[in-house]
Amino acid sequence: MKREATRYRRLRLASLLGLFLVLYIILITRALHLQVVSGQALKSLAVRQHTKIMEMPPERGLIFDRNGRKLAASVMADSVFADPSKIKNVQRAADELSRILGTDRDTILRKLGRGKNFCWLARLVPPEQAAQVEALKMDGVFVVKEPKRHYPNGELAGHILGFVGMDAVGLEGLERKYDQYLRGTPQRLVWARDAKGKRIYPRLEKAVVQGQGSYHIILTIDSRIQHLVETHLKEAVLDKGAKGGFAVVMDPRTGEILALANQPGFDPNRFAEGNPMKGKNRVVTDCYDPGSTFKPFVAAAALDARVAKETDRFYCENGHYAVGDRVIHEAQRKRHGTLTFKEIIKYSSNIGTVKIAERLGRERLYEYITKFGFGARTGIDLPGEIPGLLRHYRDWTRIDAATIAFGQGVSVTAIQLVTALSAIANNGILMKPFIIRAIVDGKGDIVREGRPTVVRRVISEQTARRMASILTAVVSDEDGTGKKARIENVNVAGKTGTSQKFDFARRAYSSEKVRTSFMGFFPAEAPQLAMLVVLDEPQRDRWGGVASAPVFKKIGEEILNCYRTDIREYQTAPLRETPNLGTLRFVAAGGPRGGDGDEADLSVAPDFRGLTIREALVKARDRDVNLKIVGHGWAISQDPPPGAALGIGRSCTVTFGTEAGS
Amino acid sequence: MRLDRGLWGNLDWFLLALVLAICLLGLVNIYSTGFSLLHDKTSALFVRQSQWLLMGLCGMVIAFFLGYRFIASWAYVIYALSVILLVIVLFYGHTTHGSQRWINIAGFSFQPSEMVKLTMILALARYFNDHPSPRSYTLKELLPPLAICVLPLVLILRQPDLGTALMLLILFVSFIPVVGIRWRDLVTVTAVTAVLVPMGWFFLKDYQKERILTFINPYRDPLGSGYHIIQSMIAVGSGGVLGKGFLKGTQTQLKFLPEQQTDFIFSVFAEEWGFLGGVILLAMFTLLVVWGLRIALHSRDYLGTLVAYGITALIFWGAFINMGMVLGLLPVVGVPLPFFSYGGSAMVMLMTAVGILLNISTRRFILQS
Repeated sequence: MKREATRYRRLRLASLLGLFLVLYIILITRALHLQVVSGQALKSLAVRQHTKIMEMPPERGLIFDRNGRKLAASVMADSVFADPSKIKNVQRAADELSRILGTDRDTILRKLGRGKNFCWLARLVPPEQAAQVEALKMDGVFVVKEPKRHYPNGELAGHILGFVGMDAVGLEGLERKYDQYLRGTPQRLVWARDAKGKRIYPRLEKAVVQGQGSYHIILTIDSRIQHLVETHLKEAVLDKGAKGGFAVVMDPRTGEILALANQPGFDPNRFAEGNPMKGKNRVVTDCYDPGSTFKPFVAAAALDARVAKETDRFYCENGHYAVGDRVIHEAQRKRHGTLTFKEIIKYSSNIGTVKIAERLGRERLYEYITKFGFGARTGIDLPGEIPGLLRHYRDWTRIDAATIAFGQGVSVTAIQLVTALSAIANNGILMKPFIIRAIVDGKGDIVREGRPTVVRRVISEQTARRMASILTAVVSDEDGTGKKARIENVNVAGKTGTSQKFDFARRAYSSEKVRTSFMGFFPAEAPQLAMLVVLDEPQRDRWGGVASAPVFKKIGEEILNCYRTDIREYQTAPLRETPNLGTLRFVAAGGPRGGDGDEADLSVAPDFRGLTIREALVKARDRDVNLKIVGHGWAISQDPPPGAALGIGRSCTVTFGTEAGS
Repeated sequence: MRLDRGLWGNLDWFLLALVLAICLLGLVNIYSTGFSLLHDKTSALFVRQSQWLLMGLCGMVIAFFLGYRFIASWAYVIYALSVILLVIVLFYGHTTHGSQRWINIAGFSFQPSEMVKLTMILALARYFNDHPSPRSYTLKELLPPLAICVLPLVLILRQPDLGTALMLLILFVSFIPVVGIRWRDLVTVTAVTAVLVPMGWFFLKDYQKERILTFINPYRDPLGSGYHIIQSMIAVGSGGVLGKGFLKGTQTQLKFLPEQQTDFIFSVFAEEWGFLGGVILLAMFTLLVVWGLRIALHSRDYLGTLVAYGITALIFWGAFINMGMVLGLLPVVGVPLPFFSYGGSAMVMLMTAVGILLNISTRRFILQS
């Protein structure tokens, strides 16, 4: 019996051992599942729990104009905040603070009564207010430094720059569009924290993720031109009693925007005040019927399609031309008999242009209009651009087809118009407009560069020159509509325009409310500037030639006066078929820094050595050299060497380095 | 008590070494728990646990030299004393976390419910040894040992301490396959249990119901009753295969896991030493259990078998329930991990038990008692 009992015991203990082992194996399986299979997921969960990321944003990037002048900078300003739970006497605090800050007492009381332990009382206050608040030495009221965006030039280029809100986020304009660049990537500090959320400083997870810093933006804007344009536009708006106005100056060869202004002006330092619509950059966000300024494009199309030439004569119906059930008149009820093609543009005849368009046919007209870039966004690097309104030619009625020819029933933006004009100025090649010259990092290395971009050839070189000649006559001839835009000793090509605003109440074009505009470029034989000036609802001198052309003239003249240029040194040259590009060099970009003053031989490579990248770029631009940049710092060597002949591509590779003295 | 010369010569060095290894590992782990990132110094927990371990070693030596037969002869008296202590606890004990478990004896805070685990094993072993049955017991014959179990169990439930009460019941049940029960009665008991357990739901306290519901789905209350188990699983899981390293367990060090030094000590270990560490620890426990069962099997007498088996079961279930709980396999019940969890009473009790086990192991070579 004893033996049997032992045997049983052995059996029982063995099976129990088996059970125990099985249970332990289950444990191991579970651990395997938790730690190995879903280990990563649980690990990231743990990391999320015990780490806290603190971001230290870099100082917001600066915005410069093309010559390195600061347009937007950041300064530190004081802000007042409170921890209501620490304030002993809320009533007294509200009294004192409302006295100093000039805020309503009840507003402060309401903020303090919200039961949180943080609330802003006033952001970015003047230093003397901050000093007074600090002098109170009140428990629970604090003053901190916050970055504040400052625009040292006030209204200058305000519509382009936009503004930055309270929490250092770009809300409008370039500040908004390039917010990511300007803000940069913050330096991130990873802290460990315990279950109560307390930060633990030493030992764990001290990882510092170095930020990229912020980027600076260099614009194509030349603040001197910008200033001229803004001043004269404002003057004209006040003088003519206009509601507003806008103007764009562009380098037709590259598409660079040199100036872009809106009236009424807008000071981004005080963005919070006044009508928010004031900050709107109407040059890209608004479209309007271009009126007569549209005619040159119809004419150019007709020349290019060889359906007409300058000397062709068109009967202008003595000011009454019936199309369908509508009668088309000339502006100001003028009556023209037979006009040549050239005269039609010079006198801005509506009926004549309709007839030209009729020769062209709506399909080809539409084709050319779209080739000039109307009906589509230009792709300029400004926020909020709209494509304008251009219906497909299949949807045109007979009247539409006629009125579009003189710029009614089609809606364009100012930027489209000046870009299309630039195509005529630029030998028929449409350039993409741009306003960002470069985005550079803290070390000055270019991370993104705005380069002249060819969109397409719109018209032939021949046509472009013929068109320039016709438009020059508009300004230079005594009986031209644009004679008030004439600049002494310089050939100006241009076109006036007055577009009636569509009155939605009366469902008709109004003759009271108009936009009067002048667009043009000069010197006509080798255009270097294209400009559009538009006045919105002027009360006096509604007709384009009278109100807008002088603004164009003044701006143009002053640009020529201010800049080192030899345009005026030459006699008004007769328009040649092949203008000598070399002799006329208008230096918008360089200013006092560019070039070395003497008449340089443009066929050889200039000396870049010792220059910074920016200086070299200016010089290259000056000499029309395609610069290839290697490295950063100061120019050390170049290929081809100074004085050696440039190749067909006119390119020069310059190596930059940071060794001092090289 | 006689000091046999053979006692030294035949000492079960393997068992001793294994237990000490686990204890040292546990001590290291307690060091990590009490280690604070803020002040870089040795924590009170570690010092205290070391003291407990030394006291436990004393208990082990005493138990070893007293011998299991001597201790078993006093089993009922010791058992009675521990039950009396439990009664005292109910009236004079002090309360922590809503549970009245501790009494102060000579300046030491002491937890009688831990002691009862061992005294009950001894009492049960004594009973089964005194009332042998050649093959199996009937239900009626099992009533007196059941009473031995139920008496302290009820007292402990009153504290309330579900974990320890459950442990006592499991230990009692663990004895049954060894001593044997009639098949007919086994079926009856199983059937009755199957009916009664669901009804038991209505007798559970709210927090206990909550624990069971939370066990089924911890995410029903992630910040409340589910917090513990979720944090535990995060800590264990984030350890991965190789662990985060000694003192580097973030969830532990940053105190995301409450009660980490006691019932959830294993999650600390698993976080810092990973799956590999866990497996090694479990392997050590497995060795201990296998060794304990081997001692039970080779014991010189039936009493030795029963006592050795009981102690082995105590260690086995402690480890299994605790780890199962930490890994989210079992509901959260307060069962400490043997040799690992912080706590003096448990440590002294377990080391004493190991002393008895050592004695059984050693004595099998000695013919006379």
